[in-house]
Amino acid sequence: MKVRGEATYVADIEFAGGLEAAFVRSPHASATFTLGDLRGRVFGAAQLNLLPISIGGPGLAATEWPPLAVDRVRYVGEAVAVVLAEDRYRAEDLAESVAVDYVPVETASIHEGCPDDVLFRGGHSSGEVDAELARAAHVYERTFRTARQTALPLENRGVLARRSGERLEVWTSTQVPHLARDLIARTLDLAPSQVRVITPDVGGGFGLKAHVFPEELVIAALAWRLGEPVRWLEDRRENLLASAHAHDEVIRLKVGVAADGQVRAVDAHLTADVGAYSIFPFSASLEPMTTGQTLFGPYAVPAYRFSALGIASHKCPAGAYRGVGMNAAAYATERMIDIIAGDLGLDVFELRRRNVVTEFPSRTMAGRELDSGDYRRLLTELAERAGYGRLREEQARARAEGRLVGIGVGLFNEHSGTGSTEYRARGVTAIPGNDSARVRVAADGSIDIFTSSADAGQGHARTYRLLAARELGVDPARVRVTEGDTDSCPPGSGTFVSRGPVGGFSSLVIALRQVAERDIAPGLEVTHSVDPHQVFPSGAHLAVVEVDRVGFVPRILRYIAVEDCGVVVDHDGVAGQVEGGICMGAGGVLLEQIAYGPDGQPLTTTLLDYLVPLASDAPAELELHHIESPSPRTVLGSKGVGEGGTIGAFAAVANAVADALAPLGVTLTDLPYAPSALYQAVVDGASGPLE
Amino acid sequence: MIRVNGGDHEVTVEPRVTLADFLRDHLRLTGTHLGCEHGVCGACTVLLDGQAVRACLVFAVQADGQEVTTVEGMALSGLPTPLQEAFRRHQAYQCGFCTPGFLATGEALLRSGRPLTRQNLPQLLAGNICRCTGYSRIIRAILEVAGSR
Repeated sequence: MKVRGEATYVADIEFAGGLEAAFVRSPHASATFTLGDLRGRVFGAAQLNLLPISIGGPGLAATEWPPLAVDRVRYVGEAVAVVLAEDRYRAEDLAESVAVDYVPVETASIHEGCPDDVLFRGGHSSGEVDAELARAAHVYERTFRTARQTALPLENRGVLARRSGERLEVWTSTQVPHLARDLIARTLDLAPSQVRVITPDVGGGFGLKAHVFPEELVIAALAWRLGEPVRWLEDRRENLLASAHAHDEVIRLKVGVAADGQVRAVDAHLTADVGAYSIFPFSASLEPMTTGQTLFGPYAVPAYRFSALGIASHKCPAGAYRGVGMNAAAYATERMIDIIAGDLGLDVFELRRRNVVTEFPSRTMAGRELDSGDYRRLLTELAERAGYGRLREEQARARAEGRLVGIGVGLFNEHSGTGSTEYRARGVTAIPGNDSARVRVAADGSIDIFTSSADAGQGHARTYRLLAARELGVDPARVRVTEGDTDSCPPGSGTFVSRGPVGGFSSLVIALRQVAERDIAPGLEVTHSVDPHQVFPSGAHLAVVEVDRVGFVPRILRYIAVEDCGVVVDHDGVAGQVEGGICMGAGGVLLEQIAYGPDGQPLTTTLLDYLVPLASDAPAELELHHIESPSPRTVLGSKGVGEGGTIGAFAAVANAVADALAPLGVTLTDLPYAPSALYQAVVDGASGPLE
Repeated sequence: MIRVNGGDHEVTVEPRVTLADFLRDHLRLTGTHLGCEHGVCGACTVLLDGQAVRACLVFAVQADGQEVTTVEGMALSGLPTPLQEAFRRHQAYQCGFCTPGFLATGEALLRSGRPLTRQNLPQLLAGNICRCTGYSRIIRAILEVAGSR
């Protein structure tokens, strides 16, 4: 029980007598290096001789990421060697003593064979974009930026590997146990069945642990080769320097609008800084392609074009962080909608109402197959629940008193539960795309559930017990749930892209129903796998923010969210996801920023520099309401819910801050909206001297 | 000599060993979690002579002669404390990694006797990070126990 300290995370597994690892990491952003004479338990790339992580596919530059750097480092924090000692103190002492001769270099390109540093190039075009722009009554051009951020699960990464005969057991804090198993097996030239990956309790993932990292491969290799148990527990500095960053995108929009406010055309250029390597399994396409497919998603736009680039840099590789490029899409789209509304003198709800998609199912101009939704109702419900008219009156009074109070709305749709077809269409081959569940009746009649998902703290087990109780009529207390064990769980994709209520629930419910159709007798076992198609949750959020006139610190006074994740199976679980997601999204707008100096030196290496929301930053009041547009593509009509809170907050909180500062003549475009940035924007935008 | 959760321990440790590592590695009390090891996230918060402290910022030897309570020692005679019970009832955790630290901070605040309100509690909890819940359920759980005292 977690409230009694009885959970078991990787670091808590009994490990007496094993070897503790520490990595030697580069202090240079770009350098060649040589390792001196390696004595004792110090290993470089030459000693381990591991296959690199290879990424390639349509639109992608073929690149290789060696688990330990070979001759050259490309970002501060890249591992050049690994050491082993009997405890972590001694391992860190030893790591510090390893002599590495670095020669800083400036090279023409970051990867040989990729001279322009473009690791990914993609795009899409539908409709007559240029003609519509030429015809439009108004054309708006803006460039928005999202900050470089990192998911920062409170539990850092951790890996423990132990060889037993011709098998290797690897405990790792991951969202993707089967992907980890397969990549470890490939790297060590083993059969996948020789590797067992187990995820114990996981202290948060938020996308960061949906990658397979070099460190996991190195620890597995050491345990396999040495025959001794090896463990690595990441510290926070390493986590900030060298796990996975995210977001960091420039979104250039050109939007053509008719006189009545109808958005007629969108032309978008997206550039994401993806860091030094194309990350596994998502690749450098993840952030910019996700944004490109999601921009103006809830709106019926007759012509849409985007180009998307993933550009390499001497920074930590970028990957997934809750919402991924959908945050940038909702942020840029909804800021733009507010800018247009302001220019046309239309209310922000009214302009949205005029433009939303009203027919379902339908295909967006970005090529997405929307399954169900009711965006007008989301807006109506939000305006009513928030008392929008009254809020504007209160705002007018506050402004008359000189207070900077803003109201922001964010409308979004998002994809959840990506399947194999959609991954292959994007050129991603490393993710199977399916989700699986196995249901077994134990000797005493109790029920065992095994799934391919891997709980990272969301509380899957509780929801699965609810489903089992409903489908089989059993006492939830007689249901055991096992996730994150590649030996006992059927293979599948893991837990990310809010796939639980899509392929996850569907595979489990079908397996449960097949059990229910037979005699529920001991020994009965059913396994079912589902390869889902994306389904589209949506939501409308409203934030009320006040910015103080002295310190320019934004505070969220009130927050109202109306979300639609289809049929809700577990109300508490959904509420927990949305509430937590909103707080995280608020952090993404107001606080979180990984900073580098011009020399590629990271400036945010502690939690005093990389700021995440504290209790005092969370919305003072938060209300959550639901509408349910059942998805025809899932067995229960459910849709994913892990990311909507974050995506909505990226739009609503940003618009609220912008609205608060609007009387000062400020237009905000670059995240985060930190006090220093707000102050600077006010200074730059003020027509007269500041009070 | 150090008293941990009611039991006395006489152990020789290197001076550089932190209280957190001592509790986790030497006594195998793994409920005290390490989130940052530089005193910001609060996951390793324990009670040291009744005060909430970050066990990553205290050396084990500094706790010589003092009494430590960790999450494992909060429950009295096997029964969860009212705060643990409130955390469970309000689902004031998801991944659970920050929970022991919040329980220690919350316990110290409740024992301090100072009035706890919806207005002052967020600031008083700003030494502990939770990435999952958005804090509102943690605040509700602590206020409920405060209100029942």
